[in-house]
Amino acid sequence: MPDLPPFRNEPVLELRRASERGTLTDALGELDARLPLRVPVWIGDDRRDGAELVSTDPAAPDRVVATAAIGTAAEAEQAVATARDALDSWSRTPAEERAHALVRAAGRLRIRRAELAALAVRECGKPWAEADADICEAIDFLEYYARGAIELDRGAALVQVPGERNALRYAPRGVTAVIAPWNFPLAIPLGMTAAALATGNTAVLKPAEQAPGCALALVEALREGGVPAGAIALLPGAGETGAALAAHRDVATIAFTGSGAVGLELMRTAATLPDGARQLTRVVAEMGGKNCVIVDADADLDDAVPAIAQSAFAYAGQKCSAASRILVHEAIADVLLERLGGAVGVLEVGPADTWGTDVPPVIEREAQERVERYARIAAAQGDVVAEATGPGGPGWYVPARVVADLPADSEVLRDEIFGPLLTVERVSGVEEACERVDALPFALTGGLFSRNPHVVEEVVRRTPVGNLYVNRAITGAMVGRQPFGGNRLSGTGTKAGGPGYLLQFVEPRVVTENTVRHGLVV
Amino acid sequence: MAGPTDADILEIGRSIRDALPAASRSPLKALDAKAMDLATADADLRAALFRFVDVVPACRSVDDVVAHLSGFLDEVGERPPPLDAAMRMGSSRAGRQALGRAAAAGVRHMAHRFIVGESAHDATRTLTGLWRDGIASSVDLLGEATVTPAEAEQYAARCANELEVLTAVYRPLPERPLLEHDAAGPVPRANLSVKVSALTPLLRPDAPERGKRDAGPRLRELLRHAKRLGAHLHIDMESYDSREAVVELVLELLSEPEFADGPSAGIVLQAYLRDAPDTLDVVETWARATPRSSPLVVRLVKGAYWDHEVVEARQHGWSAPVFEEKAESDRAFERLTLRLLDMRPLVRVAIASHNLRSVAHAIAANRAAGAPDDDIELQVLRGLGDDLGHALARSGFRVRSYCPVGDLVSGMAYLVRRLLENTANESFLAADHAGAALEDLLARP
Repeated sequence: MPDLPPFRNEPVLELRRASERGTLTDALGELDARLPLRVPVWIGDDRRDGAELVSTDPAAPDRVVATAAIGTAAEAEQAVATARDALDSWSRTPAEERAHALVRAAGRLRIRRAELAALAVRECGKPWAEADADICEAIDFLEYYARGAIELDRGAALVQVPGERNALRYAPRGVTAVIAPWNFPLAIPLGMTAAALATGNTAVLKPAEQAPGCALALVEALREGGVPAGAIALLPGAGETGAALAAHRDVATIAFTGSGAVGLELMRTAATLPDGARQLTRVVAEMGGKNCVIVDADADLDDAVPAIAQSAFAYAGQKCSAASRILVHEAIADVLLERLGGAVGVLEVGPADTWGTDVPPVIEREAQERVERYARIAAAQGDVVAEATGPGGPGWYVPARVVADLPADSEVLRDEIFGPLLTVERVSGVEEACERVDALPFALTGGLFSRNPHVVEEVVRRTPVGNLYVNRAITGAMVGRQPFGGNRLSGTGTKAGGPGYLLQFVEPRVVTENTVRHGLVV
Repeated sequence: MAGPTDADILEIGRSIRDALPAASRSPLKALDAKAMDLATADADLRAALFRFVDVVPACRSVDDVVAHLSGFLDEVGERPPPLDAAMRMGSSRAGRQALGRAAAAGVRHMAHRFIVGESAHDATRTLTGLWRDGIASSVDLLGEATVTPAEAEQYAARCANELEVLTAVYRPLPERPLLEHDAAGPVPRANLSVKVSALTPLLRPDAPERGKRDAGPRLRELLRHAKRLGAHLHIDMESYDSREAVVELVLELLSEPEFADGPSAGIVLQAYLRDAPDTLDVVETWARATPRSSPLVVRLVKGAYWDHEVVEARQHGWSAPVFEEKAESDRAFERLTLRLLDMRPLVRVAIASHNLRSVAHAIAANRAAGAPDDDIELQVLRGLGDDLGHALARSGFRVRSYCPVGDLVSGMAYLVRRLLENTANESFLAADHAGAALEDLLARP
């Protein structure tokens, strides 16, 4: 089998070229003609179609993007059983062969790039650039973990002395339940699934109920790439389906990205051993954040203002990495508020498929209501500095808002809102800003704008977040470049797209062989 | 059009060089030569210097200046002795104050070589002096990035005001026929360069229509204003991200019937872009279809955003939109020069380069086409091309100096870009400064 070339990130489309934009717009037209997609429960070679679940376009909730079957408890049982049966053969498949299957799956996704970007636009309301980045990241995960698994398969070096041979090898843990979010409907489900498969595990993917259409394309690509039908199952559904899957005795690993509440519930489930359990269930969880950006007095606001607006409002703030609190040095707070307010006031709130939309609708009605509830509290407690309103409906639009000077104990400063609502607080300096960051239970991403290397060093030392960005936007982590994941209540400290991630999906086994026979080393 | 011979180019180049002032043949001497030499030689130091220059205007006190300076210099591996001495000064309070003041003054001094004043009014004396020396100007308003509609309005208002100030500054000046006429007719005295990115906060690379829609009305007003005043309005080109929006916007506006008989207006063609010939095709097609009383001026430049374009392309895994080898840009510049000269009288041609070869080539090509010397314009940058500009003016060419005005804070991005350009190892000015032979400087790229 030929060696894989070194990893490189899949280039995003150069959307500043009209021809590239045209390709995507054409793909959307073709996709629209085929809607709604039909998504089955797909276990081994069994496909059961159904229409119990419906995903819709957040910009036009009447438009049905996909209809899906909902995985029942019995189907969860069947999916895990099938995955368990497939484990022996897939785990024995040489790591290189598994890696090549994933790389071929990446090739399938490349062929379908424009179509799948269009699907992310329709099903999850991702604006074009974000949708394109999502499919690129999905491809990156396949390519990156394929290479990482080959490397991991070589084991780790141990101390060796005469007369014994020590080896550390990594074996797959077993069946992996992948419970995925809708906000990166291609990259995140595929990333977690690819990590499991690359290391020889088998997987059952329970995608977000809002994004079954995207998930079907992922499973198709994996199977077309050569992952055996038994090794990857698709189990669409909502919370109950995920709960049934996670509670299964034979699930060895739960890979989860989503809300803190669900993450903690999964950890409780994992810690409760069912009868007959023979293995502890490991939970790999990426949960929420309350991400702060510190702006020091020497920051270049020409750079900081657009970067902050991008971090807070791209994809309507629905990224776990999105900025939600700005902590600005009081010396430049007024200027920042004036400029940021002006910049946010002209953001375009509109449908994701329109070129130039800055803030798309949020994912669903509940999200709209949640964000509006926090916005009302924020308006009552602080100063609304900017509000960019969009079309009234029928999409799930929420205005982009900046609110300043909220009281320190406001829930708006504490809770993850996951929408286009940004707060600004004045601080006496970087020291006070660091204290406020440190007081938060979350530690996912953070940002700093400063041009003093000593200040940068100090903030780096004091900030607990998993991903700190200095003098740039705080979203857009790239596989291999910015391994992504949070600390504290934001997650289990794992880093997707980083060198250590695959270790979560394996168990280490050390073999020590005595090589002395009759006093001779043989 | 067939190109000129190398012998002609060499002869013209030699005569221009002979016309350069002997005492300071290199524009780099005009800078703090020592700092520039150090910066060119040492990448760490270059980075430290630029980061320092960049942050000085944002510092709140002398102590703050020193804190930043020492922060940057800490990251330089091996410091040359003068810098080590400076760092030792920073250990006492008095020394810190002296160091901070000196360093901030040094940056201001450097900035003032490039930036002629806070406003056109401030720059009256400089502009008048240039005119007396036979050099016209294009004034460029430096400003902070436009991120809000209010900032776009302010910039448009500044531009409108500066058009009036420039008209008033130039009105009483004596006639300079060479600067005021060419084969296509009169050339306005007042000349303002504007940036579309400053006229709207909504330039989006993937949605050029948004920026065009927002900047359009402001640019249209400026064109009307320039027309009323009889001034020239030049629309600068910036990074590749905004290229489509800028070209389309300018050509669409100038197609509007009210602008058929003015004002004089121009755009920029960046030779370092691989697809510059395609852009020129668009311009040519447009010019054929859009008769104007004063032809569109096309300013041919190499392009000032090379580092930005290459870094952005590498970060995204794209092939760079610019030529990665300097010689390729130089060759493209000559090819585009020939095409532009050939397109006359559909366009007016302005050659903007400090590369003696590129300039001599354009002059020779213009002569080879049988056109008089005043049928092309040669442009230089204030602070870098001053000596070349004067030499060209003395040699009987129409020269225009691109003169940025603005305050120090807003001037820093411009200053850093200029410094980057001219401490690059491949820079023509650096090669000239290093004493390269004239034959090498004038060799075919």
